[in-house]
Amino acid sequence: MTGTVEAELEQFTRGDIQAFETLFREYQGKVYAWIVRIVRDPGAAEDLTLETFWRIYRARARFDPRRPFGAWARRIATNLALEHLSRRPAEKPLDDGLARRAAATLTPDSAIGAEVRAKVAAALGELPAKLRAAVTLAMIEETPYAEIADALGISINGVKSRVFRAVRLLRRSLEKRGVCP
Amino acid sequence: MNERDEALKELLKRATGGPADPELKHDLWPEMLRRLERPPVRIPWWDWALAAALLLCLLLFPETIPAVLYQL
Repeated sequence: MTGTVEAELEQFTRGDIQAFETLFREYQGKVYAWIVRIVRDPGAAEDLTLETFWRIYRARARFDPRRPFGAWARRIATNLALEHLSRRPAEKPLDDGLARRAAATLTPDSAIGAEVRAKVAAALGELPAKLRAAVTLAMIEETPYAEIADALGISINGVKSRVFRAVRLLRRSLEKRGVCP
Repeated sequence: MNERDEALKELLKRATGGPADPELKHDLWPEMLRRLERPPVRIPWWDWALAAALLLCLLLFPETIPAVLYQL
């Protein structure tokens, strides 16, 4: 870490808005990119990015400027994204919720019918947030296990275990819905 | 990853549209600044005084607790 970056982080911990703005502009894209990979909803990802930086700003006094800012930000972002995922099924039924959002923001393969897409979305929505995040990052986003482990604060074996459990639950849930991948 | 897992992975990617677009479409700083400049919610002193008076009242006259609860 260069002296300039450390000095800037030092200023940020003292509440300097300009130093915070510099950090915000440097990291907002990275934080957003990480969150959107977990929640897969651009609107929610923007809100969660703002919330991440809001929490970062409020916790600035506890931050050690010698530690990497990016890793700290990503840990906070991950926790917020997981909170969002665990809240979501209660707020909106995922059967149509995720499928509708997927249709609006992403472009699913048209060869797959809407019914199968809805069933996949529902099966994903039934997973506990931690398993859903692990399987989404590993299987849809193809994020390296080491990166997932770092962000979730668990070991690589822990990630493998979550993905394994998620795959087992997903397969069971999809088979119950008549989809056999 | 075995063949069945690969098939599931393929289905997930095709059904969800694959990796999300990681590009942030606009600068979020103006919104962050608005949030930072928003005055913090302050509870006026008379609210604290009212709460303290109520608490004192309940401590001195515990028989009023059911009446207070009924009013809630």
